[in-house]
Amino acid sequence: MLYRVIDASELPSLVSAFMETYEVVAPVRSGRSYAFEVIESFDDIVLDYPTTITSLKKYYLPPRETLFEFDKDGNEVRDFEMRVKPRVLFGAHACDINALNCLNSVFEDARYPDPYYEAHKAATMVVGVSCMPSEGCFCHLLDSDEARNGYDLFLQDIGDRYLVSIGSVEAANILESACSPREATDEDRIAFRQATRRRQAAFNPEIPDIQEIPMLMDAFHSDPFWEELGGRCLSCTACSSVCPTCYCFDICDTLDPDGKSGRRERVWDACTSPQFAQVAGGYNFRADGRNRVRHRMYHKLNGFLSAHDRNLCVGCGRCVYACKADISPIEVLRFFERKGAENA
Amino acid sequence: MPRVVFVGLASCFGCQINITNAEAHLVDVLGQIDLRYWQLTHSEPMPEEFDVAVVEGAVTTEEAVSTLLEVRRRASAVISIGACAATAGIPGMAAEGYLTRPVQVYGEHVPEACGTMCAPRPVSSVIDVDFEVACCPVDPLEFVRVLQQALYGSNSFRRTSTLCGECKRNERGCFYGRETLCLGMVTRSGCGARCPNLGRPCNGCAGLSPDANVPAARRVCERSGVPVARFDEALEMFNQTNPAISA
Repeated sequence: MLYRVIDASELPSLVSAFMETYEVVAPVRSGRSYAFEVIESFDDIVLDYPTTITSLKKYYLPPRETLFEFDKDGNEVRDFEMRVKPRVLFGAHACDINALNCLNSVFEDARYPDPYYEAHKAATMVVGVSCMPSEGCFCHLLDSDEARNGYDLFLQDIGDRYLVSIGSVEAANILESACSPREATDEDRIAFRQATRRRQAAFNPEIPDIQEIPMLMDAFHSDPFWEELGGRCLSCTACSSVCPTCYCFDICDTLDPDGKSGRRERVWDACTSPQFAQVAGGYNFRADGRNRVRHRMYHKLNGFLSAHDRNLCVGCGRCVYACKADISPIEVLRFFERKGAENA
Repeated sequence: MPRVVFVGLASCFGCQINITNAEAHLVDVLGQIDLRYWQLTHSEPMPEEFDVAVVEGAVTTEEAVSTLLEVRRRASAVISIGACAATAGIPGMAAEGYLTRPVQVYGEHVPEACGTMCAPRPVSSVIDVDFEVACCPVDPLEFVRVLQQALYGSNSFRRTSTLCGECKRNERGCFYGRETLCLGMVTRSGCGARCPNLGRPCNGCAGLSPDANVPAARRVCERSGVPVARFDEALEMFNQTNPAISA
């Protein structure tokens, strides 16, 4: 990896340079929270944002996406060209870059490559930025507090300047043309080390650090805890709407009002939706909150890991804020902590 | 061409009117059906033969019960539209002590036009309903989509998940963090959370989801500084006749 240093005062010209060729998406204020949105100028950006309501997932897997169009009467699929905007996602936190890496390992699976996802990804650049954890952050407990790959640039805040990790030639060229990147000095490296230590020390100590989570998930699979946790699920699916790694979708055909043509659409689905596991004939093999919430936590903290060698929960904390019933992976970690205390 | 009739029971007729707001698509939609009767626009009585019946409004009279039984006997598909048809809606608000109300309003001489009154109830409590378009009023294009399901069949189905998941996608933040009552957490999704997206809390017009977790929602209110009594009262606007809210 190549590293360079730029001054904080150079960021506006970096963003302007991206805006010449790309649509730039960045964290902006949305009411009392924040959201990733297309920006008009650098001044719209709130770079020290804690988190956003939903994630960057929407730019790779839109909530509703047309897969193709058809004529009903002729029973024929029309020629369909997908239009994708070249885009820069500016200001992604490390957890969210790791989340995109999770999505990549699903949608770029050589057995089932997804052309729609691929088209979005190919047109998208990612510029990460370092952050300080907020109350609901636990990325460090799930090995997601560092983005080791999956970005074009990553900006480490080291005071009045940024240590920039360069991940692509395209981004390096833009950085070179818009800023005056220089070699890192010893002073820069020490500042980086100190920033990293400050961040490590700032995580919420109330969130327990549990070892061997996947194994514990199996060991406590039948514990009454799951009834307690899932029994209070509101079945609202807010968790998966805000989750940067929930990638399940449904596919449905929608007719245009004229009844002559229509679209096959992919829409977000959620395993916490009551009908998610309903099959032909009407049987629902996860018919209650206990089974649905437990399944979701298993996929996040156990199942995905064995298939893709990384956790599907990146500890971003969005569901911690989004779930009014107080259901989140943190509650699972606390349950394991209580079990440890009981046995001790 | 499928013969379609529109039947209006106890309601403001706002859903029927709102269908005309499909404006640009209205002629296209009418081109797909043989519209035999629209209570809002026809003077002649409803014909005896039809394929699809669209019903707006709550059942509040024995005459309405008879109409519905007749509709069900003749129609191959029944679509109920709007909150009044789906949940008893606004007429349902008066369900408690309903039979004493005519005398309160008219005195001793209750006009014959009131019919033989019965406690307000949803259409589905009288006949089987094949398709339902929720909300007060219905979204015109959602109506068109459901009508097409009745005309042509469909591979999609209605979910019972509640509203917050759709609301989060609008990225407007949650009313509960602002100690403001919102019924989204127990109300059936499907509308795209358009009221919260406009800055107004959900008033529950899509009706209580069959999978609503009302006890858990009450605990959320307690924790969030919203009095449970206010939550329960707000739920009555569109769900008073739903047995689940007294659970």
